[in-house]
Amino acid sequence: MIRFILRRLAQAVPLLVGVSLIGFGLMHLAPGGPLAIYTLNPSIQVQDIERIKAVFGLDQPVPVQYLKWATGLATGDWGTTFFGGRPVLATILERLPATLLLMGSALAIAILLGLGIGLLGAVRRYSVFDALATSGALFALSFPTFWFGLMAIWIFAIELRWLPSGGMYELGEEGDPLSLLRHLVLPVMVLALVITATWSRYARSAFLEVLGQDFMRTARAKGMPLRARLLRHALPNAAKPLIALLGVELPFLFSGALVTETIFGWPGMGRLFVDALGMKEYPVLMGLMMFTALFVIAGNLIADIAIAAVDPRVRL
Amino acid sequence: MTGFILPRRGLLVTGAGLLAAPAIQAQSLNRDRVILAMTQEPVQFNPLLYVNAGTENVPEACLFDALWDVNERGEFIPNLAVQVPSRANGGISPDGLTWTVNLKRDVKWSDGAPFTAKDVEFTYQTIMNPAVAVRSRSGFDLIKAFRVRDDFTIEMELSKPFVPFLWAWQNMHIVPMHILSKEVSVQTAAFNGNPVGTGPYLLRSRTAGSHMVYERNPNYHRGAPRIRQFIHKFVPDQQVAYGQARTGEVDHFALSGVPNDRWPEARALPDRDFFSFPTPNVQFVYYNCGKPQFSDPRVRKALTMALEMQKSIDDIYFGTWPRSLSYLQPTHWAYNTELKDYTADPAGAERLLDEAGWRRGPDGIRQKDGVALKFTMSTTAGNIARQGCQALFQQNWKRIGVEMEIRNMPASVVWGEYTTQSRFDTLFVAWDPTVGLDPDYTARTHSRMIPAKHRQGSNYVQYENPEVDRLLELGVTQTEQADRVATYRQIQAILHEEVPFAAQGGSVQGHLKRKQLQGPVANQYVTDITWNVQSWSWA
Repeated sequence: MIRFILRRLAQAVPLLVGVSLIGFGLMHLAPGGPLAIYTLNPSIQVQDIERIKAVFGLDQPVPVQYLKWATGLATGDWGTTFFGGRPVLATILERLPATLLLMGSALAIAILLGLGIGLLGAVRRYSVFDALATSGALFALSFPTFWFGLMAIWIFAIELRWLPSGGMYELGEEGDPLSLLRHLVLPVMVLALVITATWSRYARSAFLEVLGQDFMRTARAKGMPLRARLLRHALPNAAKPLIALLGVELPFLFSGALVTETIFGWPGMGRLFVDALGMKEYPVLMGLMMFTALFVIAGNLIADIAIAAVDPRVRL
Repeated sequence: MTGFILPRRGLLVTGAGLLAAPAIQAQSLNRDRVILAMTQEPVQFNPLLYVNAGTENVPEACLFDALWDVNERGEFIPNLAVQVPSRANGGISPDGLTWTVNLKRDVKWSDGAPFTAKDVEFTYQTIMNPAVAVRSRSGFDLIKAFRVRDDFTIEMELSKPFVPFLWAWQNMHIVPMHILSKEVSVQTAAFNGNPVGTGPYLLRSRTAGSHMVYERNPNYHRGAPRIRQFIHKFVPDQQVAYGQARTGEVDHFALSGVPNDRWPEARALPDRDFFSFPTPNVQFVYYNCGKPQFSDPRVRKALTMALEMQKSIDDIYFGTWPRSLSYLQPTHWAYNTELKDYTADPAGAERLLDEAGWRRGPDGIRQKDGVALKFTMSTTAGNIARQGCQALFQQNWKRIGVEMEIRNMPASVVWGEYTTQSRFDTLFVAWDPTVGLDPDYTARTHSRMIPAKHRQGSNYVQYENPEVDRLLELGVTQTEQADRVATYRQIQAILHEEVPFAAQGGSVQGHLKRKQLQGPVANQYVTDITWNVQSWSWA
């Protein structure tokens, strides 16, 4: 197992290099760049822009810029932002707790709900509940997230005035867990709605597949009660594809939700990415990409290990 | 700065009507603090490096001071300087070349160190330091010699008389030498995130992506502010921010402000003041005079005559913008009020194009010497209002046999070398004057300032006119405002006839604040509402 992990980590290195090369290349190939923001500043003239270009190191050939960035990263230096000159890693890490909290709560709620709805839908296939769950999921997946977000704000924040419309804390109440909870409800609700819809569909089909297997019929024939059949036989077998799905979704814990964070003014990674993209803040964009790539690799690795744990046939 | 709006806003507009809730109870008012909401967030707080005008002016105004400020009438008022230098008080030598500034003696940095002339000298040196991405050197590059006469007196010698020099210092906040001179690089100094200034407020905390909290500076040299806490809150979605200003979650919503279509509703809100804040921006159609279609001034004028400018303001900006015929807001002291609006006159435009030799070809498009009157127009993609104007202009031009293709791009593309190296046909852009709010327009219209030819300036339209050059050079040496008004009116009159760029209107922001909040005043000579934050109070 340790050898497996080490081998996978070793494989990750060329993968990360590849990802960074493609990302860096595409970013510089795309027209435009961070200096355009200065063109809009009225007192800036072309000679000022040339000067700033040199200060940022953007006047050097792209391969040289890449090597500088990559050697920095290899030695633990994620670079500094163009605008503000702050360390990139600190800029990313300060957004991490907010995103972890938002995405963690949403994913946890959505997965539990999704599993439950999926399981029930599979066991009572073609029942009224199943039909409602299926059409509900279709509804949730068909509407864009920003629409749900604006509706939630309109109904719960502006009309009913039950919950705040955005932010993470009431100003002056920073650190107050109750205030945090109140602010968490709407964005988590909106995010969880969409994730639940996805998960309920996956869970339903995973369970359906298992429920039709011979060993399930055998278990029933020997008189095993439904609850035990589901928990002892169906769940571990249906879990495999779902664990793989979880491995793919794990990186979202860290990359954040672009639209939801923007609408609810949630200070997470998604907002950082949107802002950095708008300003073509290359060091931050590269940092976020590497950060997410790391967690994609980690997520898949963890999923593989977990699958080995639930399935004795899989050996690492 | 305008235009850095991501296309996702387009999606959000469809949800715009949702937040128009009818019944809203006011949230209770906390007189201990004031909450100012903006959609954008400052990323760094070193006033010499700022990039994002409007939002990054807030930390500047709270934390730092300039030598002098400018009030809502366009008059300079002393801040760190004892008085604003002029010929009358001896601050400016009779030849206009030597400027002497006396500094206040009772000013302290927020860490307790005294403020002296050395700080001003250091600020100047940093501005000229090639290793620092300073936003601009406009005006400062004319300083031939900078002398510290004593701890509280500086003397600057200019290479030529330059009246707008006052504006350069008005917009340049002084940074502390005793901290920044010890840094290896001003560019990456810890100071940029943890600033020390002389300003009315001190930065207490910052929550990235959410808000910044300032506490009043009890030792502020112009008197401690009356409101203890100042909170700058970031609400990225404009509709949500407007909703928060209505419910009282925030006390003042500025910058992007109330959406244009909500102005009548905002005006009628009880317990709220709604006012329009003219920005320094005027929106233009930019003609690239270096392209064969636009080299003849008659063509540019005819194209402009065909445009329904007033209609575009009424229909798309809901009539909120004032029409402008020059590069200044119509309320600016130097604006030429005698200019006559020749839009929209499609028949006149057709006559002028015929006269200039551009006749309709078999496909209905006008042409001359094998060049068809076809071109593209570019602006930031996703800006719904601008796209609306472009569509109207396209129709206006089609009627007179001119074909325009809309080719919008992301902000970072269109305002890059596509603009600075004059690769565009036409642009649709909002821009402000170049040296503060001085009417000087050398960088944008002087023939030596074409970057594609001379590697300097921002005359992206490649406009050349010796008479305009002469007037621009004269205007910056005239010290009497009446003389300057005459000069700049003349410049505006020429530009109005030759039309290197066609002004549409002056952009305005719709601000919404609590009625009890005293102090915020619209000031078209600055870029941000917090220019006088030290004097805000609760009634």
